[in-house]
Amino acid sequence: MSEGTFGNPEIVTVETDVLIVGGGMAACGAAYEAVRWAGDDVRITMVDKAALDRSGAVAQGLSAINTYLGDNSPEDYCRMVSADLMGITRDDLVFDVGRHVDDSVELFEEWGLPIWKDKSTEGVALKDGGKPVRSGKWQIMINGESYKPIVAEAAKKALGIENIYERVFIVKLLLDANNENQIAGAVGFSVREHKLYIFRCKTCLLVAGGAVNVFRPRSTGEGMGRTWYPVWNAGSTYAMAAEVGAEMTMMENRFVPCRFKDGYGPVGAWFLLFKSQAVNGFGENYMVKNADMLKDFAPYDTAAVIPTCLRNHAMLKEMKDGRGPIMMDTPTAMAKLTESMSPKEVKHLESEAWEDFLDMCIGQAGVWAGLNIRPEETASELMPTEPYLLGSHSGCCGIWVSGPEDIAPEEWQWGYNRMTTVNGLFTAGDGVGASGHKFSSGSHAEGRIAAKNMVRYVREHADLSPKIKGDIEQITEEIYRPVRTYLEHKDKTTAEDINPNYIIPQQYQMRLQKIMDEYVAGVSTYYNTNGKLLDMGLNYLEMLKEDSKHLRAKDLHELLRAWENYHRTRTAETHLRHIMFRKETRYPGFFYRVDYPELDDANWKVFVNSRMDPETGDWELKKVPHIDLVEKHYG
Amino acid sequence: MPTFVHTEKCDGCKGGEVTACAYICPHDLMKLDTGRMKAFNQEPEQCWECQCCVKACPQQAIEVRSFQDWVPMGGAAIPMRTDSAIMWTIKFRDGELKRFKFPIRTTPVGTIDPYSGKPEAGDINSQLLFTEAGRELPVIAS
Repeated sequence: MSEGTFGNPEIVTVETDVLIVGGGMAACGAAYEAVRWAGDDVRITMVDKAALDRSGAVAQGLSAINTYLGDNSPEDYCRMVSADLMGITRDDLVFDVGRHVDDSVELFEEWGLPIWKDKSTEGVALKDGGKPVRSGKWQIMINGESYKPIVAEAAKKALGIENIYERVFIVKLLLDANNENQIAGAVGFSVREHKLYIFRCKTCLLVAGGAVNVFRPRSTGEGMGRTWYPVWNAGSTYAMAAEVGAEMTMMENRFVPCRFKDGYGPVGAWFLLFKSQAVNGFGENYMVKNADMLKDFAPYDTAAVIPTCLRNHAMLKEMKDGRGPIMMDTPTAMAKLTESMSPKEVKHLESEAWEDFLDMCIGQAGVWAGLNIRPEETASELMPTEPYLLGSHSGCCGIWVSGPEDIAPEEWQWGYNRMTTVNGLFTAGDGVGASGHKFSSGSHAEGRIAAKNMVRYVREHADLSPKIKGDIEQITEEIYRPVRTYLEHKDKTTAEDINPNYIIPQQYQMRLQKIMDEYVAGVSTYYNTNGKLLDMGLNYLEMLKEDSKHLRAKDLHELLRAWENYHRTRTAETHLRHIMFRKETRYPGFFYRVDYPELDDANWKVFVNSRMDPETGDWELKKVPHIDLVEKHYG
Repeated sequence: MPTFVHTEKCDGCKGGEVTACAYICPHDLMKLDTGRMKAFNQEPEQCWECQCCVKACPQQAIEVRSFQDWVPMGGAAIPMRTDSAIMWTIKFRDGELKRFKFPIRTTPVGTIDPYSGKPEAGDINSQLLFTEAGRELPVIAS
C-alpha cells in the first residue's frame, strides 16, 4: 500500500501469538517471563503508546518498593490488603502475588537497582540475606530514579527491540469472527506516522494502567497535568476490556490519596520512616480525636494498619468542620530524629527527605522550592486529592480474572491464571480487580504470572487461527473520524477551536471531569453523592458519549487525546454504574452514598461485578459472593 | 509545572532522526518545530513534571518552571544525570541553593543479560515462574 497521509493511514497488519498492550511494570514483567517459556515457536509482541524506558506509572522513578514480603507471610499480606480495602478482596490473587513478588524485587536488584540496606548487611544482596531498610512492614527504600529504565532494559533484551512497537496507541480490542467471546487482536494507530496497526493474536495481555483525570482535579491551569498518578493513565485498560464484554469487578472502588497539597508529594516515608504526625489547624491529631467515629465502620477500624479510606474519613471531618489546614508536622519529626545525630548524619537525613520527592515526585520539590519550604523549618499542608481509579495501589477496581489453580476455589477459576472472562484476554497490575497493594513490584510479578499462562494458552490452542470480527475499513473510519471531522469543518469558522461542528479533546475532558466531580462524588461535593445525582450524572455522561462522535483531531497528537478521553468516558461510566448499584457506604473518605451512609456487611460484603454486552451495549450488574480463604482478624 | 526549552541551547538534536525529548516524553508533549529546529512543549497543562525530557536532553536545554497558577516564581529543581548518579540543584525562591546527589544504578547501562545463569523453562503446568525452578511454593495454610 502507498504511504499514508493524515486521515488516510497506511494499514499495517502484524501477526503474533502473544500480544502485550502496554509498557509499564506488568508489561515488562510479562515480556521477561513469556520469552523464556515461549521458545522459538511462539511469537511475542509488545505495543506501548510511549517509549519503554520511561512509560507507565514508574516512568519518573520511585523512592520505595511498597511490596516486598521478606520475612512476612503471604497470609499476613492477604490480611493487610483485605483490611485496607474494607474486607472485599480476592485472597487467591493477593496470595499469589505475595508468593512471587520477592523474586521480581531480587531481579531488579541484580539488574542494577540500588536497594537500601541495613548497616549490618551493607552491600549484601537481598537474595543473599541482605536486610532492606524498611519504611513500613511491607515497604523497602530504594534509590529509584532509574527503576523503569532498568526494568525496561531487561524486557527489551529479553524480547528484542524488533518486537516492540513504541508510540503506537491501541484503542480497541478485536474479537474473533468464528469463535464467540475469543480475543483475536487489537487495533491502534501510530502517533508519529500515518499508520494504522492491526495486531492479530491468539492471546492478549491488557496492561495499560489505571485512570487519571477522570475527575476534575484540584489543580487549575498549568497544574492540571501535575496529577498524583501519571496523567497518561487514561483508563484504557478498563474501557477496552469492558467494550469486548469482559466482566468487571469492584469498579465502584476508587483511591483518594492524601498527599502534600498541590505537588502531590508522597507521605509514606514521612509517616512511616520519619515518624511524622499529621494534625489539624489547631494542632490536634485527628486520628486520635476522631477514633470514635471510625467505630461505625467496624471491624475494619481496628486493623493493624487503619484502612486508608478511614484515615481520610477522620481527616475530612476536620476539613468539613472548618478546622483546617491539615498539616504534616515535619519540623517536629526532624527535630526528634536529629536529637542524637552528628551534623553529617543530619545532612544525610535532609538528603533522604528530599530524595523521597526527587525520586518520584519532582513537582513537589518544585513547590517547596517556590514556597521557600524547608521541612526542618516549616510544616506542609496535606490534602485529599481528586479520585483515581486503579487496581495496583491502595485501590481495587478492575477486571474479574481466573485465579491460580492450586489456590482458587472452583468459582474463581475457569482455566488460566489471570485470564479474564473473555477467552485469551489476560490482564495484570492495575487491570486485575479485587486485589490491590501490588504496587510496582507486584505488578511486575503479576505480569510474569499472566505471561506464563498465556504461553500455555497458545500451546494448548495450537489450532486457533484468529480472524478479526468486523470490517477493517469501518474500524479505520471510526478511529480516524476525529481527523475527518476536523478536515471537513475546520475552515467554516474564523477561529478553528470554536466551531459548532466539533468538540476539541481538551474541552471534552473538562466536561467529563465536571460531570464526575459534581455528580459522582468528586472534591467539590466532599466526595458525596446519592441516587438522584447519579441518575443525572449518567444522563449527562450519555450525552457526552454521543458527543464523542464529534471529537476533532487536528493532528496525531490530538487523535491520541481524543481516544484517551473516550477511554476515560467508558471508565467513568463503569465507575458510576457500580456506585449506583452498591447501596451502602463501603469506603468512607473515598466516597459517600449519603442515601446509604452506613457500612452494610450483612447485604453488601460481596463483589459487585458488571458486564456490558458488546453487541447491544446493555449493562448487567450483579452481586458475587465473597469468601475469605485466609482467616481474617482485625487488630 | 511545564517544561520550557532554552532557545539558544536547543539544537533540535541536529536534525537527527530522533529528537531526544520528543522520543522520551511519556505523554507525547515535547515536539520539534521543524522550521526553527527547536523543541517545545505543545500542551503545557498536561505536563506531569517528571523531567524525563530534561534528563534526556543532550544539550541540557530543557528545564521545568513550576505551574504559575499556584507556585510563586523563582524556585526550581534541576537535575544533572549520568549513567550511575543524579545530581540535583534545588533553587529556592529566596535564592538559597541546595545540592543532593543520589546513586541511580549499580550496573553499567546496557549490560543486563536477562537470562544469564537463569534456569531454563521448566514445567509449564506448574505455578512456578521460570526463575523459581526447584522451589516449593506456599499454598494457603488452612
